Amino acid sequence: MSTALDRQIRPIYDALDTQSNKSAVLACNKVLKKQPNNALKALALVRLQKVEESLLLADEVLAKKPTDDGVLTAMMHVLRGLGRHSDIVAMFETAYKQHPQNEDLGTQTFFANVRVGNWKAAQQVATKMHKQFQDDRYLYWSIFSAVLQANDMATPEALRPVLLKLALRLISSGNTPSYFNPDRFYVHLLILRELEMYDDAATLLNHEIGQKICETSLVCDEIRRDIMKLKGACKQEGEQAKVKILEKKDRNWLEFLSLLDATFWDIASTSEPASEDVKAAVTEEIAKTRKVFSEAATVDGLKDRSGLLALLELEKRTKSHGLWTDACEIRMMAENYFSQFGDKACCYEDLLPYLAFEGEELEQWTSFLNSRKSFDTPDTLQRSINVYKLLRYNLTSAELTPELELARAQEYIKVYLDGLKFGVNLPDTELQPADDFAILVGHAYVSLWKLTGEESHLQSAAATLEYASARSKQSYRIRLLLIRIYHLLGAPALALDHYRLMNVKQVQTDTLSHLILSRAAMWSLAPLGDITYMSECMEASQIYMSNSTETAEFIARAFSTERYSQIIDFIEFEDRLDNSLQRDLMKVEHVRMRVAHEPLNAELVDMELIELKFIFDRIHHDNRDFEVIPNYQPRCQPSFNEQTLPLKPPGAGWLSAYLKVYIRAFQEASDLDETVEDKLLIGDRPKPSNDPENQLPLRERLVKKRQEEIDDLSEDEKLFYEYTLALSEWVGPYHDYVRPPPSALLAEAAKSNDLKPGHPLKSMAAAANGSATNGHSKKDEEPPAVKESPELIPKFFDDMKSRFDAVISGTALPSELLHIVATTQEAYLLFALETVRFKPNSIIKQYKFGQLAQSFKDLRVKASSILNEMSTVLAKLGEEVATPDGRKAFVQASSSIQDSSGFDHDFVLGVAKKTTDARKQTYEGIAKGLAKVVKNHS
Amino acid sequence: MSVLRPFRATDMFKFNNINLDIWTETYGISFYLTYLSRWPDLCCVQEAPNGHMMGYVIGKAEGHGQDWHGHVTALTVAPEYRRLSLARKMMSLLEMVSDETYKGFFVDLYVRCTNSVAISMYEGLGYSVYRRVREYYGSLGLGRASKDEEDAFDMRKPLSRDPHRRSVRANGREFVVSAHDVS
Repeated sequence: MSTALDRQIRPIYDALDTQSNKSAVLACNKVLKKQPNNALKALALVRLQKVEESLLLADEVLAKKPTDDGVLTAMMHVLRGLGRHSDIVAMFETAYKQHPQNEDLGTQTFFANVRVGNWKAAQQVATKMHKQFQDDRYLYWSIFSAVLQANDMATPEALRPVLLKLALRLISSGNTPSYFNPDRFYVHLLILRELEMYDDAATLLNHEIGQKICETSLVCDEIRRDIMKLKGACKQEGEQAKVKILEKKDRNWLEFLSLLDATFWDIASTSEPASEDVKAAVTEEIAKTRKVFSEAATVDGLKDRSGLLALLELEKRTKSHGLWTDACEIRMMAENYFSQFGDKACCYEDLLPYLAFEGEELEQWTSFLNSRKSFDTPDTLQRSINVYKLLRYNLTSAELTPELELARAQEYIKVYLDGLKFGVNLPDTELQPADDFAILVGHAYVSLWKLTGEESHLQSAAATLEYASARSKQSYRIRLLLIRIYHLLGAPALALDHYRLMNVKQVQTDTLSHLILSRAAMWSLAPLGDITYMSECMEASQIYMSNSTETAEFIARAFSTERYSQIIDFIEFEDRLDNSLQRDLMKVEHVRMRVAHEPLNAELVDMELIELKFIFDRIHHDNRDFEVIPNYQPRCQPSFNEQTLPLKPPGAGWLSAYLKVYIRAFQEASDLDETVEDKLLIGDRPKPSNDPENQLPLRERLVKKRQEEIDDLSEDEKLFYEYTLALSEWVGPYHDYVRPPPSALLAEAAKSNDLKPGHPLKSMAAAANGSATNGHSKKDEEPPAVKESPELIPKFFDDMKSRFDAVISGTALPSELLHIVATTQEAYLLFALETVRFKPNSIIKQYKFGQLAQSFKDLRVKASSILNEMSTVLAKLGEEVATPDGRKAFVQASSSIQDSSGFDHDFVLGVAKKTTDARKQTYEGIAKGLAKVVKNHS
Repeated sequence: MSVLRPFRATDMFKFNNINLDIWTETYGISFYLTYLSRWPDLCCVQEAPNGHMMGYVIGKAEGHGQDWHGHVTALTVAPEYRRLSLARKMMSLLEMVSDETYKGFFVDLYVRCTNSVAISMYEGLGYSVYRRVREYYGSLGLGRASKDEEDAFDMRKPLSRDPHRRSVRANGREFVVSAHDVS
């Protein structure tokens, strides 16, 4: 580029850098008069969201087959912005073909393929580069691309070993051996493992350099362990582990596991029943191993838990293999372990796998623990926390009566309040040492609620946990419990407050947003214009955008830094986030709320239809983190998480059912058919999945019910699902008849596009051709005969009404009531969506749909009156709940926590006010929303 | 007693129990992937036998000439797994790799001047204050604006390539620089 030109272009770059896209366009126009630089202008336009204009310019630039570095880079950003990743690949490939000597273009072409996971093409580019530039790094690029191609789901089974063998052959052709660096060594080992050539791998690993690499590289050591296990070299590993434990004082738990595996190898490695000889030999091994672990335990004392814990694991395995062990051995070891490490917070979870005691053992263990309660110092406090948790863990169903649980709750409260004295002087950034007692209180009250069905226990739990949260502001664990309890109590706003205080961000929104966004539509006041939950969905979805723009870049970068060991993980990470179940659950929630919030016009329908169809083929990964929710419930009870879910958490089946419901409804309401959609689409389509199920035509798949879906739905949702199927089966034929033909639509799109000066739609030429054959022949047929509405449709609304009445008169929780209301409202909205096309009088007249319109009207009137009734009842409930009487009831319900002293009446009253106000707000909001929905769509 | 293993990209799905703690920052995807795509061997995880993550360290190698060294960017242990010497084990791995793989002269790290627990732990591991960096950290935003909270100690420990301990000094606490002077 000449200096003069450079000077002219500089301001464009500056404007782009500072996001002043409008001035960038102006600057481009100035330069363009003399020297065309459409790439930068296209970039500025993309950023200004002027997609159509940018598309046109981009195509112009691409047609010129650019090779200039600046143009290519700018175009890469343009095409990425437009979602046209395959065009990026083509652009670089074309450029590289023109300048095969240009190493940089080769690299860019390789990276472009890597970014889209085009491993076959990437491998070919790298091979070419290796021949041309003779650098081993390109050889490894090609090798690893072949490995990744073999790993790819889309690669046929038979081709995989071929690719791996090719990769192996290429390794031996390198100028330097693979142990030149740890990551190349890793690649070599990985290939040998995949080809099951364990002996060859072992030879490499036993080599001096191989050993050295594994000492400093955890990644290589990890694959080494794996290979040795697959090779069946467990005993050899065990011997090495013994040396590491005793001589090198290595306390990596993996070493202890290696030795344990080796000890039981002769029994565990075969399915045959062990002979007496084998048993005797293993028993001897056990004794030796016991000595090793005991020695480690003695040497370490209080410094490390490994030795003692390994002894417990040894006893457990001995017992599980049916070898003789003293019945009380495990218990005594557990006691010993507790005596030494009972003051560590993790003692509880360390011991859990070993505590399935019964009968006399359980009695002794319980009395041992009971004698260890003491509250003199912070250390003994931690010990007592463990005592209480461990005692609770082994409670039997007989001990879980309401009376006993209540007594326990009160004891937990007492020791909690006592324990607070150890944290008085801590800064507010620190956790209170007694926090876990408050968490136990929460558990006991939830258990009480489960046992008795009385909501008052949840209120007590909320009051105690709020108290604890105020004292330990940074305890996210307390907040997690409160989030769950507030949802059950119909106070979602308070749950949301606690969630926000946890400061969940970045990738955590994928794993944790389920806490507030699972079936969020049921809490949403979207019909009233409150978009709180919709915004939460949008915010939590930001991470998926970052994933699509950033992660692929790092896969390319890992190639460039030759960190092959990371690439498979990066790809998995990208895939798990891209195809995250939570991502699409949020999308569906957002759609459900949007339908309640906005008018049901073509813009909404068409956009959501396309987006949901994109999602439909995905194979989802469930990244939701439920483990983070504390659980100290007895082992004979479900976990705290399971107990406090308002409904079964939505899974892949739920998602599939709801996607079908909405895709069907949108498809019917929309004028877009597949041919039109293809023409209007700008970016790349998602890669088709390989699931044979997905090969069926979409229409067939949409009406197919799967057991997996049904299993995931609540009872009310099951009724709703049936209702939507009946509805679309009934209305579908009329939609198909009335829907304008594709040609008319495309002409319409072209017309509206022509209004923007000088920028015709990209694909119009093709579209115009299509119209010649796809003409108006359809309208010559008679309109489909009008049928009566299927009985299921009015019945659904009746059923929901009786469900509602039953719940109102019973003791169900607010969450259940709101679920019924939300489902009924959703059914009403779907009805509106499915019938909006037939509203205009002209349509009714033209197609002689008078009778159909009457059926719609009858149904609408019926459904409206039911929704209005629900609205009235809810509004009344809302008023009742937040009166002084309602609060008094709440305070009285929490009397058990006040009895235990320390809790002042005003504090409980404060929590009562907050909870009842939040519930009132929800009830009233939902009630008003129902009325609004009815009004909007009547 | 814990499994010492490499930090993997997919650990981002698992680290909530550690990162929800106030002292641990959750960064964007690119932060973790930058480290993993360049210094994966300086990033590791301690995992409990039940698969829960207990803590992790993220480090890098940087500097020129005599200043070439390993740097601890983040070291964190979940509250329930503290007081188990996990930090010590992860630091010793990072030191070993900085020494043997990267041939660095020393390892360094930054710590809030108020974080006395951490400072004495690092001293116990052989680190000493090399200098005090003014206003290195943002305020914690908890209403206690104190100089000590925003200032950092740059602490260092020499490795085998620095047998004469040229990378440390005795009176580091009095040696004050501004945040602009450090990278």
